[in-house]
Amino acid sequence: MNSSKSTQIILFIYGLLVIVFLYLPLISVGFASISKARYLTFPIKRYSTKWYMKAMESETVYAIITTSLKVAVIVTVISMIVAFFGALAFARYNWRYRGFFQKLILLPIFFPQTVLGLALLMWFNSIGIIPTWKTAIVAHLVWIAPIATLIVAIRAYSFDPSLEEAARDMGASTTTVLKEITLPLLMPGIISAGLFAFLLSWGNFPLSLFTTGADSTLPEWLYAKMVSGYSPLVPTLGILSVASSFLLVLVCIALISFYRSIQNKIN
Amino acid sequence: MEKLDRKLGFFSSIPLGLILAISFLAPLFVVALFSTMPQKVFSLGQLPDFSSYKLFFNQGYYKSLLWSLSMALISTAILFFICWPLAFGMAKVFKKFTLVLTIAVVMSLFVSENIRLFGWSLTLMKGGLLEGHLRAWTGIALPSLLYNTGIIIFGLVYVYLPFMLFPLAQGIAMVPEDARQAAADLGANRWQILLYVDLPLSSPGIMVGSLLCFVLGAGAMSESKLLGGQSVIVIADDIETAFTFGQNWPLGASLSMILIIIIGALAIYGINKIDLDTVMGRKR
Amino acid sequence: MKVQPILRLKNISKAFGSFQAVKDINLEIFEGEFFTIVGPSGSGKSTLIRLLVGMDDLTSGEIYLRGNRIDRTPANLRPTCMVFQSLALFPHMSVGQNIEFPLKLKKMAPNDRKQKSLELLDLLRLPKSFYEKRISQCSGGEKQRVALARALAFDPEILFFDEPLSALDYRLRKTLEKELKNLHLRTGKTFVYITHSLEEAMVMSDRIAIMRGGEFEQISVSDDIYERPVSRFVAEFMGEVNLFEVSGTKKLGLKSENPNFHINCDPSKAKLGLADGIGGVLVVRPECLRFLTNSESADFVLTGKLKAEYALGSRTQYEIETASQNIITVEKLREDRFMGKEGSKVTLGFDAESAHIIEEL
Repeated sequence: MNSSKSTQIILFIYGLLVIVFLYLPLISVGFASISKARYLTFPIKRYSTKWYMKAMESETVYAIITTSLKVAVIVTVISMIVAFFGALAFARYNWRYRGFFQKLILLPIFFPQTVLGLALLMWFNSIGIIPTWKTAIVAHLVWIAPIATLIVAIRAYSFDPSLEEAARDMGASTTTVLKEITLPLLMPGIISAGLFAFLLSWGNFPLSLFTTGADSTLPEWLYAKMVSGYSPLVPTLGILSVASSFLLVLVCIALISFYRSIQNKIN
Repeated sequence: MEKLDRKLGFFSSIPLGLILAISFLAPLFVVALFSTMPQKVFSLGQLPDFSSYKLFFNQGYYKSLLWSLSMALISTAILFFICWPLAFGMAKVFKKFTLVLTIAVVMSLFVSENIRLFGWSLTLMKGGLLEGHLRAWTGIALPSLLYNTGIIIFGLVYVYLPFMLFPLAQGIAMVPEDARQAAADLGANRWQILLYVDLPLSSPGIMVGSLLCFVLGAGAMSESKLLGGQSVIVIADDIETAFTFGQNWPLGASLSMILIIIIGALAIYGINKIDLDTVMGRKR
Repeated sequence: MKVQPILRLKNISKAFGSFQAVKDINLEIFEGEFFTIVGPSGSGKSTLIRLLVGMDDLTSGEIYLRGNRIDRTPANLRPTCMVFQSLALFPHMSVGQNIEFPLKLKKMAPNDRKQKSLELLDLLRLPKSFYEKRISQCSGGEKQRVALARALAFDPEILFFDEPLSALDYRLRKTLEKELKNLHLRTGKTFVYITHSLEEAMVMSDRIAIMRGGEFEQISVSDDIYERPVSRFVAEFMGEVNLFEVSGTKKLGLKSENPNFHINCDPSKAKLGLADGIGGVLVVRPECLRFLTNSESADFVLTGKLKAEYALGSRTQYEIETASQNIITVEKLREDRFMGKEGSKVTLGFDAESAHIIEEL
């Protein structure tokens, strides 16, 4: 059924408005980050990049960014590996407890993350582990590994199991099938799962809040400054964090389309 | 073949299964234990007395819970109405624009929700992006739009929009186009198609979206802290205070347990109702 | 008095961008007719039926139902109805709810609705117990009948069918073809059916339209289409056929370039002749050819080598290769089987009345 032209136009405008709605606050943050004044009021009278200079020089900033990066990179690597196997158990193989496994994976996603963080804090405490950035990795994984698994699972659902059967029929062993057929076919899913894992970990606050101990990730540091009073570094670092995320996404998209165009040329 | 499938399935579930067992199920168990401990202890070595659960009623913590649940409910309902037309557009009307929208919405998810909510407070505060410019151009001064219940619900709607939008779009995409055409052919108008075909057939998506928004909204805290200025205390806020400022872990644990049980029951009910294989597009 | 058609298409066209899917079609369909549109995939037949039921808009042209123009009326307000290729049964409703759906939209009282849908189940030879059944519990043939019942519940002026049998296995399809024809007789409704199978069309239809490239190639009763196709395309569309290239001579005769093909009659008398210099093909169906013994002759005779033999059940098919390496197909009833060895020389013949000539410029 073709929707009428006017419906299409109205929905399109509505979609644009939603995008504006989603990004409007970031525009405010962006303006705030280049305001010269220590105490922000709109309209902004004088612009300056001095807060960016300050942020670059600050050792605290360097430390929290390092912490955030360490956590995000390790979470990404573990998530990709776990999600590959998890997705196969989720979507591909027919095994006894598949239904239960699928539901177990969804539960953490449906869970308030603040509560999850607190539960982990109590758990670490009761088994005698002192929270540091390393424990934050565990906390992030509880929420991010299931999401990564779902992303790979969508890919796993769409590939034809008879490809694996054909390979096995031609004499390939289970590990060969995994390495030569399954892994390459799932690769696009695994890569996007990795991208999601990195970005979700990089931006996550509620899980880090109680699980980093004395260390601090970037979102945590920003939150602390936000509730304790305005700091001109908050919008600056916020924008830097957002910009690096978006840059990463753009680089990934560019790499993928570059890769595709090369493949098209070969074929 | 079947035997191999069973073996491989079991083995490949181990890594994620272990992570969830050690860092999801075990912590929940610890929370459950802690919630029964006497006030202000920091270890599990005491005899349980369930005193914290009494505090939930005696000291009015149930009010925070009711606030959280009702704001989550309202924001979920609003989200459903806001997202339906757009999700419909993404699933049935737009072509390339669906991809643009998807990327735009997903990218916004990668921005820490603190930064986005902070941005809203910069936008809406007195002397913020909206009020500041309005006053500069027209001279009309407005009171601050922040620090009330409405703005908290606004924040919830804003933060959880993707969690409603994508499941809805997926649900609507599952409605077969020829079922809609057949209904029209049999005499149904636009609203009758919506009522008899679209809504019932996209119900898995509606349920997942509503459940996610409600559950996450009920446990949310940043919206009330950053936008609401604590005009309302939500349950997650109480839980945090009990742990940090109050130094009363059993109280925090029991409040958590109450929230977990409500949310968990809803989540398990909802997850059990949908067939994940169909929703995610399994081929056989 | 001229009979007014129930459906009249006037210069209908549909373009998708620069592609013309339906090209300036005119057609009249009469009350109570079983009219079938046949064409290969891509012929525009699906587009045409979507235009007729109102799911797509015309690029130009007019559609009249009983003299009233309906091409601007949306599908839900047209008194016609279609059985979809996928059947489009509502998976979340029971069989009864599906059948009652159009009645519910017409605000019929629940009791009357149930009464009516039970009648329809009966008409479609489904037991009453099906009323409560889920769609997913029905077999392919049962779903087919439910879809029909739902369409009939709507009580349409014209019932359209978009290849509803194409997904079924051969035997079930054959059964349902007959049932549909029977249902058509019992209900007296106008049926407009599209399919890619001319065989299916011939079983059921009063008239058949052959569609190709967005246009009608031939519209006629099924015997005409089978015996007197207007073009090579139509001839080849319906199963096996033998085509012999010929050209016209003076006095409306025929001649063939093929030295193994002999014309022993006066084609002009049998109305098979062509004017001098005009090319054409002689169309002969495989069952009209016969094997000749030495003493026998026929109006047209040709020789070749028996190349292969295939058992088709009630019939046997033979392939004969001529010296010019053309393959001729012959079919005989099983009881009239030809007992020849593969590779042996055979003589074939057919008579003027079983042949048909197509002029080709």
